[in-house]
Amino acid sequence: MSSDYVVVNGAGQKIPNAVFAELMAAVLARGAPFRFQASGWSMLPFICDGDVITLSPPPARLRLGDVAAFVNPYTDRLTVHRVIARQGAGYLIRGDNTPSQDGLISHAAILGCVTRVERRGRAMRLGLGPERLPIAVLSRCDWLIPGVARLYPLYRFLFKRCK
Amino acid sequence: MTETLSLDSICAPSEDVVAREIEGELIIVPLASGIGDMEDELYTLNETGKAIWGKLDGARTLAQIADELAQEYDAPVDAIARDVNGLVSELVQRKMVVVQ
Repeated sequence: MSSDYVVVNGAGQKIPNAVFAELMAAVLARGAPFRFQASGWSMLPFICDGDVITLSPPPARLRLGDVAAFVNPYTDRLTVHRVIARQGAGYLIRGDNTPSQDGLISHAAILGCVTRVERRGRAMRLGLGPERLPIAVLSRCDWLIPGVARLYPLYRFLFKRCK
Repeated sequence: MTETLSLDSICAPSEDVVAREIEGELIIVPLASGIGDMEDELYTLNETGKAIWGKLDGARTLAQIADELAQEYDAPVDAIARDVNGLVSELVQRKMVVVQ
């Protein structure tokens, strides 16, 4: 069968950020999960560059510590970071490995929530369970990055042992 | 099961795809197992494909769609009908369009 009419874009092809966000929003608005490969290090160590993450449509209200996808209104970039506080109808959001917050993000700007992280085919649960609450508190107090820096060698050691 | 397609067939986009026209391009994301999976394949339609896709509404036959496009583009209806049949066959095969 000829492919004169349909162009197949293989997995991994680079798609402009705005186009990607629009596709993500369209799929999540249908109530379907959205799975893609993350890039960047702003959520280290809980989400690493190359991890495959699955988003689900956002609940009516995000919980403290939830990891949310949104288009940052200040930078226009699609971002996946953690809720570190709830303020009115919005959220203070910050990457686990970023020096500053993303600012106040309205609930309407939230596209979805991370419900699964896969690293080399394995589900990574740390950072999405009940521990997300202390992670959010530590991040808000600027203690997460120093804490992770101290514990990361132990984390890596345990991760390798568990493989 | 292979769908039998003719110009009398009536077709519509599958419920299992999300299609968006973004920056002039029609991009189709299949919801494989109910998930929009960017680790799988995405599809884009060329100009011809986009014009045909826009008319697959589950109400018109492929022949009617070909007639409308022939008038809109001032082109021979036989050639347009071949394009419509070719595209829709491919989309049906890829489970992006259903025959009703």
